[in-house]
Amino acid sequence: MRHRLSASGRRLGTLAGLFGLGVLLWALTPHFLTVSNLLNVLEQTSINAVIAAGMTFVIISAGIDLSVGSLVAVAGVVLASTLHAGMPITIALAASLAVGFAFGLLNGLAITWGRLPPFIATLGMMSIARGCALLFTEGRPVSGFDPAFRSIATARLLGIPAPVFVTIAVYLMAHFVLAETRFGRYVYSMGGNEEATRLSGVNVRLHKTLVYGVSGLASAVAAVLLTARLNSAQPIAGIMYELDAIAATVIGGTSLMGGEGGLGGTIIGALIMGVLRNGLNLLGVSSFVQQIVIGLVIVFAVLIDTVLKARKG
Amino acid sequence: MRALHRSILYPAVATLVALAGGCNRAAGTGTTGRPRVALVMKTLNNPFFIDMQRGAEKAAKDLDVDLVVQAADRETDVERQMQIVENLIQAHVGALALTPSGSREVVPVVGKANAAKIPVVIVDTRLDQKAATDAGVKTASFVGSDNYRGGQIIGEYLVKVANGRAKVAILEGIPGHETGDSRVRGFKDAIKGSPGVTIVASQPANWERDQGFQNILQAHADIDTVFACNDIMALGAIEAISAAGKAGQIRVLGFDAIDDARRAITDGKMTATVAQYPDEMGRAAIEAAVKAMKGEAVPADIGVRIGLITKENAARDSDKK
Repeated sequence: MRHRLSASGRRLGTLAGLFGLGVLLWALTPHFLTVSNLLNVLEQTSINAVIAAGMTFVIISAGIDLSVGSLVAVAGVVLASTLHAGMPITIALAASLAVGFAFGLLNGLAITWGRLPPFIATLGMMSIARGCALLFTEGRPVSGFDPAFRSIATARLLGIPAPVFVTIAVYLMAHFVLAETRFGRYVYSMGGNEEATRLSGVNVRLHKTLVYGVSGLASAVAAVLLTARLNSAQPIAGIMYELDAIAATVIGGTSLMGGEGGLGGTIIGALIMGVLRNGLNLLGVSSFVQQIVIGLVIVFAVLIDTVLKARKG
Repeated sequence: MRALHRSILYPAVATLVALAGGCNRAAGTGTTGRPRVALVMKTLNNPFFIDMQRGAEKAAKDLDVDLVVQAADRETDVERQMQIVENLIQAHVGALALTPSGSREVVPVVGKANAAKIPVVIVDTRLDQKAATDAGVKTASFVGSDNYRGGQIIGEYLVKVANGRAKVAILEGIPGHETGDSRVRGFKDAIKGSPGVTIVASQPANWERDQGFQNILQAHADIDTVFACNDIMALGAIEAISAAGKAGQIRVLGFDAIDDARRAITDGKMTATVAQYPDEMGRAAIEAAVKAMKGEAVPADIGVRIGLITKENAARDSDKK
């Protein structure tokens, strides 16, 4: 009970932060609070938000996934090549998601059966998957798709960009899994106390491996959005995306120590980053200063977490 | 307790953003009433783009317009560059100058600028012609160095210093890269009229330092000149030459005029290179963008000067890119 309350309290705080940021930008520039700009921010946030949804599973389980950016590249080039081979969109999507899931499971296996720390296993995969993407494409981008595929990024329903609906669907599904299924409960309990979870009869290896599969799957969904958006899949796509995804998750209140957090916080965290970047562009703030501001927001968010933990303990 | 921490964190962040925004408010919101144009670059981690920004800022000052300069953190992050352009479209800038991080990947966002009726000037790296045509996007102008002319300049120089007699090896860039191909074409056309200047070998070295020249040197002992399509490859050739004990016997020609190449020229290890002038690119880009914004005619292609760098001018600061 206490756990639930504190999580929702944390989320309210993050939401208040997003709201405060919005009010501030509204006061500073007339271009922020327009329907068209808000939709623009939602569209831009979708890719990071989707990756961060998978990252949330991983971080709640007390792990980390540094390979997500490279998995975006691999899943993207597989998607693009399958499309270029003349396959139907559904097959290409399935191939891409399967590749993302499989690479994610490999991460999981290296961590559970290989007993590697998640940091090392996924750091290795970051390089392996990047190499695979480069090898597969000989370093060249695979670009130019027909409008039916591109509509995943370009279509609008009731004026709302399609990627926003994809993101909502991903979050609804992920939230259901995390909050309503046994697997979801195991993710929390593994992160809270892995040993106790194992002793209570849970197959920790299996479920932990699946957690990384989920993250790989999320990266593949992001790859679909990215490829449709740029009309191109680059083997060098997604470099450093892991940092944005980790940042969104952590700003959203998921603890790097594992065991607590949730998707509601992560989506708000991703929006805070999206709004911040958008606002800094609208204001014409120098790119150098932007990096400082974003870095400070991340550090402050984690600082709060640490301070809270210390008080509680 | 939580509420207390929140109440500290967010005002702190908000103040930061306000400060950051505050110092740039004039530029960002156009409250000065002056027209506002934007320059979006690949990155700010490369001296080439810092110089471009400087040139653009001078032009904006002269033309009395506000200039917003933005760039992605990394040159590889074309999606981030797309976001920046989208955000600037939302900010209703009058015109955009853009150095594409991906010749094909930025085409969709140029389309968005077209839809918002914001003229776009492409700088330094051309859009992929086919991708642009397929998507039906329009650009106001292209501003950049003429790589073909650069190749010609260095070829003409060779003909002059070699008195019409030379055996040349060419180190090409990555096959299919427009910049490298144009440089080779210009070079070949320049030496066409001199039958004494012959190309004995020509192969890709992928813009990289350590590829291939040793082997060429083994296969063709009579080579007396190497033309590398960028300075990095030229510096690699210099190492191979001295490893083969032929230092000083082979002319080395490069392209780009990077600092290490200038130093090699000053030290007599390298013969010549070609300099680009990114500050002039920045200036020309903003001038073209402002014209396009006012609806004036702008040439479709604006060439920026390039210059030959030899021992006489290698150390001079004014020629630095």
